[in-house]
Parts: sequence; structure tokens; C-alpha cells
Amino acid sequence: MILRNSLFAILFCCTATASTQEIYDVSRIPAPLLNKSTSVVRNEEHSLIIKNRTNATLIYKKAITILSKSGEDVAQMAEYYDNFSSVSNLKAVMYDAKGVKIRTYKSADFKDESITEGNMFDSYRIKKLTFLNTTFPYTIEYSYEKNYNGYISFPEWSPVDNYDSAIEKSVYTLQVPKTVAFRYLKSPALRTDSIQNNDRIVYEWTCQNLPAFEYEPMSAGIRDITPWVMVAPNDFEYDNSKGNVENWKNLGEWNYRLSNTPQTLPEHIKAKVQQLIASAKTDKEKIAILYQFLQSNTRYVSVQLGIGGFKPIAAEKVATVSYGDCKGLSNYMKTLLSEAGIQSTLVILGSGRPSLNTSYASFGQTNHMILCVPAAKDTTWLECTSQYTPMGYIGNDNSARTVVLITADGGKLVRTPVYKPEDNFQNRVTTVALAADRSADVHIKTSYGSSQYEDHLGMMLLEPVEQRKRIMKNLGIPNMEISSASFLQPDKTAPKIEEDIVLKSSQMINQGGDKLFVTLNLLNRRESVPAKVENRKTSFSVPYGFKDTDITTFTLPQGYKVEFIPQDISLESEFGKYTAKVTVKDNMIVYTRNQMMNSKKYAPEKYKDLVDFYKKIYLADKQKAILAKVN
Amino acid sequence: MIKKINLFLIALLFLKSEVSAQKTQKQLPVFKYGKVELNEFDVKPKGADSAAAAVKLFDIGNGYFEIGPSGSFIYVFERHARYKIINKNGYDLADQEVRLYRDGQGSEEKMEYINGATYNLNNGKIEVSKMASDAKFTNRLDNKHIVKKYTLPNIKEGSIIEYRYKTKSDFTFKLDDWYFQGGYPTNYSYFSLTIPEYYIYKIDAGGFYELNRLSPIENTQNMTMSNGATKSENYTVKTVKTQYYLENIPAIKDENYITTLDDYVSKIGFELTATNYPQSGYKALTSTWPKIVKEMMNSDNFGGFIQKKNPGKELIKEIIKDETTPEGKMNLVFNYVKNKIKWDDKYRLYTDAGSPKTILEKKSGSSSEINLLLLNLLDAAGLESYPVIISTRGNGTHPGYPLASKFNSVIVMTVTGDSKHLLDAVDKNNNPDLLSYANLNHRGLKINRTTNEGEWISIDSIPPSRSSIFYNLKLDTENKLTGTLSISSSNYDGVNRRNSYQQAANQEEFVKNYKRNKPGLEISDYVIENLNETEKPLIESMNVTIEDNIESAGNLSYFMPLLFERTKENPFSLEERNYPVDFAYPKEENYHLSLEFPEGYKPDQLPKNEKFKLPENGGSFTIMYTMNENKLSMVSKISLLKSAYSPDEYYTLKELFKNIVRKQAEQIVLKKI
Repeated sequence: MILRNSLFAILFCCTATASTQEIYDVSRIPAPLLNKSTSVVRNEEHSLIIKNRTNATLIYKKAITILSKSGEDVAQMAEYYDNFSSVSNLKAVMYDAKGVKIRTYKSADFKDESITEGNMFDSYRIKKLTFLNTTFPYTIEYSYEKNYNGYISFPEWSPVDNYDSAIEKSVYTLQVPKTVAFRYLKSPALRTDSIQNNDRIVYEWTCQNLPAFEYEPMSAGIRDITPWVMVAPNDFEYDNSKGNVENWKNLGEWNYRLSNTPQTLPEHIKAKVQQLIASAKTDKEKIAILYQFLQSNTRYVSVQLGIGGFKPIAAEKVATVSYGDCKGLSNYMKTLLSEAGIQSTLVILGSGRPSLNTSYASFGQTNHMILCVPAAKDTTWLECTSQYTPMGYIGNDNSARTVVLITADGGKLVRTPVYKPEDNFQNRVTTVALAADRSADVHIKTSYGSSQYEDHLGMMLLEPVEQRKRIMKNLGIPNMEISSASFLQPDKTAPKIEEDIVLKSSQMINQGGDKLFVTLNLLNRRESVPAKVENRKTSFSVPYGFKDTDITTFTLPQGYKVEFIPQDISLESEFGKYTAKVTVKDNMIVYTRNQMMNSKKYAPEKYKDLVDFYKKIYLADKQKAILAKVN
Repeated sequence: MIKKINLFLIALLFLKSEVSAQKTQKQLPVFKYGKVELNEFDVKPKGADSAAAAVKLFDIGNGYFEIGPSGSFIYVFERHARYKIINKNGYDLADQEVRLYRDGQGSEEKMEYINGATYNLNNGKIEVSKMASDAKFTNRLDNKHIVKKYTLPNIKEGSIIEYRYKTKSDFTFKLDDWYFQGGYPTNYSYFSLTIPEYYIYKIDAGGFYELNRLSPIENTQNMTMSNGATKSENYTVKTVKTQYYLENIPAIKDENYITTLDDYVSKIGFELTATNYPQSGYKALTSTWPKIVKEMMNSDNFGGFIQKKNPGKELIKEIIKDETTPEGKMNLVFNYVKNKIKWDDKYRLYTDAGSPKTILEKKSGSSSEINLLLLNLLDAAGLESYPVIISTRGNGTHPGYPLASKFNSVIVMTVTGDSKHLLDAVDKNNNPDLLSYANLNHRGLKINRTTNEGEWISIDSIPPSRSSIFYNLKLDTENKLTGTLSISSSNYDGVNRRNSYQQAANQEEFVKNYKRNKPGLEISDYVIENLNETEKPLIESMNVTIEDNIESAGNLSYFMPLLFERTKENPFSLEERNYPVDFAYPKEENYHLSLEFPEGYKPDQLPKNEKFKLPENGGSFTIMYTMNENKLSMVSKISLLKSAYSPDEYYTLKELFKNIVRKQAEQIVLKKI
């Protein structure tokens, strides 16, 4: 009690010593913060007061100066709430460049909207306000209170949430009663201040005078170099369910309790399972058969409501309606496998997010559920929401990361499989028959594996008319007509697409004087080089490693001979390998190109080497052969 | 009190030509909910849609009227649709949503019921799975919109799905459009509207396919009006039922350079044009332009808003000070509004705010609030001005006849001496006679506030938007180019570049963005002029060095003279086009290169100079090379002088671009002597 009063006193103190007019005068912003920034966070107060196991309050206040039009997108306030939280006491004010108040917003100016992006139903709602002004700079200030009635996780504090935005001051205060156990994880360099006071502890983290970060190409993100704090309760009570998330083991245990209810299947589904697997010999075959049954009989429908955001709907229900979300479908697949005598384990993970932090458990890091069918040698991972991907292929977003298995003994951390550059292949064989009128007949045969399979899956599913439009756009061959195009996945159990395109171009060769110029790398050119960055701050990475092989055979037009071909090229660096080779035989030119890229996170200072490497590839890729008339 | 009165409906006189001559009564198919025939499972998509993910087997809509609790007519809408799902891409159809509106003043749309079911064929038998109540969701989007969502069980490839629902609405002025065409091929689509004798609707039909209409059927309908809890009165009301249908309609597909797909889809809409109650007689609502205009002018949120004397009367003195010329006054007022009031990204015909004062205080507003404030101030300045009401590109083409509901925004026309100017103050980068791109829908209705007359005027941009690029370069023996680049961008090209400049974090980032995808280009001493003088072309100039663009092979060097600005692909790839190509405004793309060679270099036969023209001065493409001692000059000029080209002109436009792609890719070859 006493402590809260004193904190309030501090807040009041701040506002009392200087009038707001002075506070938000733009001329008070330290010069380094204006460098390359489009907005400056003048002051942010994020204070979380945990009252007991079920109740907590977030008191939030933020003032941002918008310096130019490009900073406009941060001129807004948005806070989410659901059935277990509420947002109240909303206030907002706008100041001009001198810090003079020019507008006070009324409660009717705040919008209250539902958000159901991609979900059939979601109880989340948003309170929001967009600030509009034509002259720059201006400052906005807003505040609100969010009350939690039952909580499972808390919002993270990461004051640098935008590029080109500087921070003058941001403070996170956390008040926790000594009776409430909790954990926090913070960025390594951040200092923690704490005061003990009778029945509670107050923590404080501060970020001050931090200049803006610029976006850097291929960046692995600014999280490694900016301050942040995550806070999670050890014990929680949410939608009438009690749990402990002190570590992944306990988090898994709670999850296991939610899903480990008796799962029954309707008799006709049981019979169907038995009938389907009757002739299967191995577990692997059975898994493949049942996974295909799942894919052809269910679809993804997401309904998220309270504990339903964590607890799968019963397998029996999924069997009746043939739809569910990632949890419902994973759990249904688990039940189907169980009927076939195969044990499997539910898995929670952060799909498309960083690996789970092994020493810090929290729900905030997870957003997805898949299924793991363990085997001594050959464990199978199943993404149960996909209608198309082959058994065992879980995609880029789920692969190569730490995940939690939900077992009877609680959560267990494991790694999902990694797709290596050789798995993510693109093998292409092209023949080009050139004619003297500069037209050409082209036949392209390509196969794509794993990550590149995933990239081309959407193409395979398009209607032919749309496919053709897309091919024209992608190939970039001028004035072309497509005679045929097909995309096939020859093996339902392998992540591989085969593409076959036959086309005619009326302008394959460029003329210059009396010579013809043929770009040898017809289809897989690197068309640009990433921009140079002085004093790069962030690490970088390629989205995934891959291996591309191109063999292109050109047949010369009648009456022409090869006058010039470029030299062979071979490049190697820690980023990957590249070779390009040209041979001439009779009236044919054969161009062979190999490129292999590694997927790693590289330190910022290596970036200039990558630019060099890409520039060499760019130059090699545009080399041309020159043809001259036979006299 | 509604009495039986004999009246001939005149609604049908308003039928547009898109609706074909009425057919004699034809036997139309009847579909019963829940009764699926085995042969429906054999349906396959045909022709151009043979790869469609689903087929709409039928879609039946029936609209009619009842007497609501308040004693006035309410609109009842019943729909019954059935689809055959061919493959997984069609699964989305199993999720349906219906949006319902309420105005916050007691009038609303309500869902009466919805039923749905999935039918699967299993060993020759049809299995039915009904939509359960836990598959129905209500979502309050905001305080005026509710979305009802539904999802069907047991969807598989080959499933047939069906749903029907009924809504009741207090809003009878504009009935929801009925779409005969959609994203999937449709075998049969039917809509009927049964109108009581007291209502007269205007019909707006659109799309490429002529609607079939059956002869109207006159009938009577028993209606009940409840007077309090126990009493109710019954009436017999004369009605006329009109029926429209289409069969075998292909799926509609999106294309580049169109206003909105909605302009080309087959649909029908209804707007109330008059009521004819026995006690009050014939009352026209919006049947003529004077009628529509008068109503708008009487509205507090249009005419009333414009007429507010304060604070414009005082404010205008501050704005125009001692300026005396009409042109000068207009510019001052226009600049004042565009620089003071921020657009909230909403297109509106009517204001939400009741007066200009509110907008001046709020410093933000909708298109209507901003441009009517502008009009209010132009009035105060004594300039002859007119509201011009429009339908934006996204809102679709206005059919032309008096139809109020199709307008969604307003701009202003001001007369200064002999010249007329169109004004649109929603964007700081706009100028007199330069409207926002979204408004370029070719025409608007100019409103005469004295006579209440409406007059269609062209709002097309006349001078072409011109971008001119000048390179003045010198080649060295290391294949490096050094020199200057200047870019001039007028009208919409100027707006676009100003926008990207302002949206970049700073000049450095803007230059970086410009360099992106131009490998080998380095820029220094970048200068931008006329950034804020939006009436002038935007001028950028800089010093450049360009590497990696000129390639060598033996004693030859070669390059494409349009260094980074070449049109690499024909934007028109399809054989045929049914829609006009609507670029929104005329444009010109100029490219000049002046290149000095080092000693001992000589071009080896230059590409041919050529010129290609579109018929009727529609546009052209020219490419020309000249050599003067050791200097090469090259000009490429593309002119597209019309804002829109008809489907008939598509072929020549496609050919023009084919030649542009071909000619711009020609190489210059240099020989070292």
C-alpha cells in the first residue's frame, strides 16, 4: 500500500516539476535521437501490478513525437482485450511542435472492434485510436489501464518496436506480492533495479536515449541489440484452470492434463481405421495411410475461446464435424494413430518464431501444435492442418527449432528436423532451340524439393489460367507464349514438385549490330545485389539454405556460329559455392550452373563479404554468348 | 393505415437495356431444401472454368415485403444456394458469413434463421450432415456491424453443400445487390422481387451477360400489422413480382488496369424511387436529378454543412488577406484546406460532422468533410463554386441515370474568369485540376445549387503525366559511365514521387530506395526541387557513376541504352480482353541518353530508328539514335494519350507494348579500333 502511494508520488512528481508544454517541446529532444529517426518515444511508462494469482493491472502511458510523414504509422494506440481482461480509462492528447496541447480526444473517438483474422471465432477485441495531423512534427500522448481477471501470460516490454524510431525514455515497472512467484527474462545488457517493500517487490527496467535503428537488408532482427523484458507468472489461474509454468516440464504437464481426457472415436471411424491399415505392414505405412485419411477428410477451422485456446476439442467432435484447429486436428490424428496401436505425442512450438528458450518457459513463445510419432530411428513429425504437404514434412516454419513434447511426465524439450541445402533443391534442365528470326522454342523441366517445394506449392494449386499468368511474370522471358505447363507432385509422401513448361518466345535473342546476344543463364539469374550498409549493426541470414542446379542447352540458329563465350567461373565463400561453365559442341552451347547457399546466422561485419559474393554472382549470371553470321 | 387501392406499378418502366426483353412464362427449375439428386454429384465445371474448385449449382434469392412492428414496410430476403465442391481450394465455401448493419437509431438488419448441410456420396448413398448450433457464431465487429459466421461439417472433395437463410431489414431505400456471377462458375442464379403497390423501385443492372426477365406477375399478399400485444389487423396488398435469372455463367476473373471488378460482374440492384400511399399520394424520392439534389441540399450533412456561415466568414479574411484575383483566392483557400486538414482515408458523400467548425477543430475529416469545408470557404471568398459528386474508381462506374446511392464522394468545381478548376483537397500533393487517383473515374455530377440541376461533366485529367529522364554520360576505357542524371516528373508522376519521397525516413533512404534494383548505380550530390511547389514538375538531379552495365567480349563492348528504365515485359499477356484498359490518366514516358565514347571506340551499326502509332492519335512509341562525332544521343518516348482504351483497342495496345519491349532491348555494340 505504502509502496504504491510512493510510486504514484513519483509519477506526479514528474508531471508537476515541468509543465507539459515544456515536456513535449520538440526542441528538447537530444540531437542524436533525431538522427535518421521518423519518430521519438518521449516517454513510455509500462507498469504492471500483479495483485494475486488471478488479478493484475497494467497502467500504460506513452508519448511519441512524430517527426515526418514516414513516422505516421506509429501515430496510433491499440490495446487488445478478451473475456478475461478489460481496457479502461482511455485518454489521448495531441501537442504541436512547441508542446502546446492542440487536441483532447473524447471517449467516442476510440474505436472498439473485434479481430477475427483468419479465425471462425476469436474472443479478442481491440480498442484503438488513430491520430491524424497534417503538419510535422507533433506529439501524441495516450494512456489507459488494462485489468486482468485471470491471466496466463503478460505482454512483453520491448520499447524499440519500430525501425527509425528513437527512445528518449521508456520505463517498465513491475510490482509483485512476495506471495506470487514469477520469472522474468531480459536482454543481456539491461540492468535490473529492485526494491523490497514489506509484502511486495518492485522491479524497474529503464531504456534511455537510444537512437533509432535503420532497417538493414537480410536482417536477423534487432532483438539481439535492443532491450526487452518478458515476465511470466509461475502459478496462474485462467478460465477456471489452475496451472504452473515455472519450467517447460510444468507447462507441459498442465497442457497434458488439458488434452489427456478420454478420447473416443465413433464406431464407424474405428472400423475405417482398421480397414485402412489392414494390409499395411509397417508403422510408417500405417502413419502414411492415416495421415492421408486425415488430409482428405478434415479441414482447418479455428475457434479460439478462453481455455479453448489451449485445450484441443475432443477427437470425437472432430470425427463428427471433420474440422478443427491445429490442436483439434493434431489430437484427432493422435487418436487415429492410437486406434492403430501407434503412440504419438502432441507438440507445442512457436511456428515461424524463434526457438523456445530452453531456460525460460512461457506461453507467449508458442502459437502452434503439431504431432510427433516417436520411433527409435525414424521419428515422424506431422503438421496436421495442411491439406497438401506429404507425411513428415513440417515446413520451414516448424523445422529446425526447439519445441516441447507434451508427455505424461510433463514437457520435454526436443529439436525438430533440419532441412539441409541439398534437401531444398531446384534441379532444372532447359533446352532452347534458337531460330534466325530471334525467336526460340523452350522446354523447361524443373524439380523442387522441401523448402523450394513449399515455395512452389501455391503455384501447383492455382487454376491453369492463373498459373500461366504467374509463369509469364516469374520467368521474365520477353514476348512469350506458353504452349503447355504442368505441375505435379509425383509421390504423395515426398516433398517434391515437378514442373514442365513448354513455351515459345518471339524475342529470345537480343540484336546488336549484326550480332546476336544470348543470355546464357536464361532463368535463374541474380538480378540485383543487396545494398551496402555502413556500420552494420544487426546479424543477417538467408531464409533457408538451398542448392540450385541448372543445365541449359542452346541450339544455334541456322547460319550462325559462336563468336564468343564467357569463361568458366568458380566462386566459394562461407556463404556458399557457385560455379558456371560453358561448353560448345557442334551447333550447341551447354551452360551449367550450380549454386549452393548455407543457412546460418552471420555476424554484421561479414555483410560486406556477402555483398561481394552476390555481386560476383550477379555479374556471372548476366554473361552472354555472342553469335555471328557464318560467312 | 393501408387500404386496398388499385394502382399500376410504374417500377418496370425504369428497366435498363441490360435486361433483355421479357420472356413469356418459362418453366423455371424448382429446388427444395434438403432434396439433393444423385446426378448433382456428377456435375463438373466446363469450358474455360474446367479447373474450377467448385460449381455453384444454383443460387435462389427472393425479396419481398412485410409490415414491421413499427407499422412500416420491412424488407424480407430469403436465399437458398447449393454448391458442388470439386477440390480443396473450394473448401472456403463451407465457411459462410453474413454481415448485418444497424444504424444505432433503432433500425437494423436481423438474421431470422440459417440452415446448412453437407451431402456426401458414400457407396451410392447420400449422407447428410447438418450444420449444428455450435457451428454458428456472432461477432460484433463494431457498434454498427455484426457478422454472423457459419461453418459446415464433413467437407470433402466432391461434397455438395447447401444453405438457406432469411434476413429482415428496416432499410428499404437501397436493397442489397444480387450477384448472378461470382468467383466460381454458376449453373443457375435467380432473383425475384415482390413489391407492394405502394413502392416503386429503380433497377440498376450491370455486367456482360444480359439478364433474362420473366413477365411480371400481379398478385395480392396478405399482410399482418400487429397493434399492441393482442390485436392485429390483416390487409390484402396488391403486389407485382419480377423475376430475373441467368444460366451457365462463367466465373469472373480479375485483370490489371481496371476500375473495379464490380463494374463488370453481372448483378442487379434496386433503389426506392417513389412511394405511393393512398393517404399521401405519389411521393417521388429520388427519381430526377433536381429531386436528388434538393434532398442533398436540404440535408444537414451536405447542403446544411456548406451553408454554415461560421467560422468561414471570419476565417476567410485571414486566409485571402489582400489577394484580389479569383485565381489567387482559390489557390490560397485550396492550400489552406489541404495543408490544415488531414484526410482520414474515408470516402464519403455526406459529412458525419454537422459543421465546418468541427472539422477545423478536429483537423481531420473524410473526403466529404474536407471538400465541403473547401466549398464553404470558397463561398465565403465569393468564388463561383459547385459540388461535383462522384463515384470513386473502387466504388464503380455510375450508371448515369438519377441514382443517388451510387455516389460515394464529392469534389469541387470553381470558376475563375474563363477557366474552370476541379479541386480535391484530401492530399497535400494535390493541385487544382489534379484529383486523387482514386477519383479518376472519368465523370462527376456537377450540382447547381440555385436550380438544383445536376449535369454530368468529364473529370478526366487532360495534360498527360510526364516523366522525363535525362542521362548525360561519359564512358571510360574501364567500362565505367560517369555523368549526370536528371528526372522531371509532372502531374501523377510528380504525386507518386513526392509521396515516396515523403514516406521515406529521409532523403538518404529515398536515394537508397531509388538505387534498389539498379545494380552498379552510385549517386552523389542529389538535389530535389519543387517538392512543395506541387503545381510545378518535381525536378531531381544528381551525379552518377554506373558500373557493371557495359559488358565486354573480345574487342567488343555492348549494352542496352535504357540502362535501368527498360520495359522488360508486356503488361498485356492475355490473347483477348473483355474489359477496357483503364490507366486512369494519360501519360508520357521520355528517356534521353547522351553518351560520349573514349577515343578509339566506334559504334558498330546502330539499331534502326522506329516509330509506332496507335490509331486515332491514341498514343505512340518512338525510338531514335543519332551519332555526332564521338557522341551518341538516344531518345525513347512512350505516349499513352487516353485515360482508358476500349476492349476493341486492346490488340493494338498489346502490339505497341510488344514493340516497346523488343526495341528497348536492342543492344548498342562498340568496337575498339
